[in-house]
Amino acid sequence: MYDRKNQRNLTRTEKRRLVGAILELKRSGRYDDFVLLHREFYVSDGEDRPRAAHMTPSFFPWHRQYLLEFEKALRAVDPAVSVPYWDWTSDNTPGASLWAEDLLGGNGRPGDRQVMTGPFAYATGGWTINDGVSEQPFLTRNFGRPSSPVTLPGKDDVARALKDPVYDAEPWNSVSGTGFRNRIEGWGIRGSRGVSNHNQVHRWVGGSMSGAGSPNDPVFWFHHAFIDLLWVRWQKAHPRSGYRPGARTGGSGGDRERVFGLDEPMPPFGVAPSALLDHTRLYRYV
Amino acid sequence: MGRTRDATGTAAARRGVSRRIVLRSVFTVGVTAGTAAALGPVLAGDPDEPVPASGKARGTEPERFAETYRGREIRGAVTVVVPAGGRGDAVRAAGAADAVPHLDVRVDGRPLHIMRRADGSYVSDVNHYESFPTLLATARAAVDELGSAQLAAAPPRHGT
Repeated sequence: MYDRKNQRNLTRTEKRRLVGAILELKRSGRYDDFVLLHREFYVSDGEDRPRAAHMTPSFFPWHRQYLLEFEKALRAVDPAVSVPYWDWTSDNTPGASLWAEDLLGGNGRPGDRQVMTGPFAYATGGWTINDGVSEQPFLTRNFGRPSSPVTLPGKDDVARALKDPVYDAEPWNSVSGTGFRNRIEGWGIRGSRGVSNHNQVHRWVGGSMSGAGSPNDPVFWFHHAFIDLLWVRWQKAHPRSGYRPGARTGGSGGDRERVFGLDEPMPPFGVAPSALLDHTRLYRYV
Repeated sequence: MGRTRDATGTAAARRGVSRRIVLRSVFTVGVTAGTAAALGPVLAGDPDEPVPASGKARGTEPERFAETYRGREIRGAVTVVVPAGGRGDAVRAAGAADAVPHLDVRVDGRPLHIMRRADGSYVSDVNHYESFPTLLATARAAVDELGSAQLAAAPPRHGT
């Protein structure tokens, strides 16, 4: 049992050790394996393939296990570290301590959007992008995407999602109009609502975070720890609601065949959502 | 965490299938290079031939475009993959049910990997967390996000 902290409460020493562990994973090649794994499991719901990670009910448990695997690798380097969370409803400016020199570094520069500050700046020599979408070997960010401005989601956006008492709903994909899962995952639905929450934050950070290589930016883990915490909050708010869908029924077709029900093991972990509903034996949010 | 892990177990099967198919473009351009050319594209598209619903962009005809946007050359086309041996009536009779639309979009000649959403919109590797109603809008948004960057020459191992 260990704590996951709000990144704003990390001490100087905790930041230094966390950054050190991330850089060591990168040096060993393990970090890039995590980037590739995320790319491989990004399956869109227009494809006729199993879909464990995105546009799917198992968005929350799949990313919980993915973060646990990453955290395990981090803690093998330094047992004192864990993945902090970034509450983007509060720390919602480029001046937040998250983006300071001693943690993640700041926005990309104009033009090539290269991150020039902090431990993940290319010039430090410790953070070369190997599996990015572009041929750029450096981390990029483009806060707020000035060419077509994006804001960070607010507390109201999160509150609206947390209020939904149903975990997920048919057709179990990116166009599910109700349900906590897609309200947080945040796919825009034509004529109904725009991009929100999880997806909106990826867009706001921009650069590496907006594309298929999003875990190349270490803020990915901070963001997804907060997404994981929102799942915990939803569970507390709706103790009588549970993960959906359950077992397949004879009549279920279409997307139900491609998504993962409560007891169906998710690749590549071989862990079913039912085994991931309770995080409290592993870590707690403080 | 091996790099060769297969996301769904279908990639190998797909590779097998790809050797047994030909590409038939629904346009007179579109298949430009690489594997597609080796498979022998049939470039004489019949304008009267029905286009599979999955190849349509929101009820319109499949897109084809080429333009300069913010100084970058963007091109896009949809090609339809049909089973081998089906160049003639057999395939028309067999119907387009087996046809899989192939989305070929390029920025300055580099391929932009694109996926379809259930609502018919498109998600690209550059903009993975939002979708666009047309391939053209997808390509323009990719240019906006790329800034001065070029796409990687070959996408890393990506399941497809």
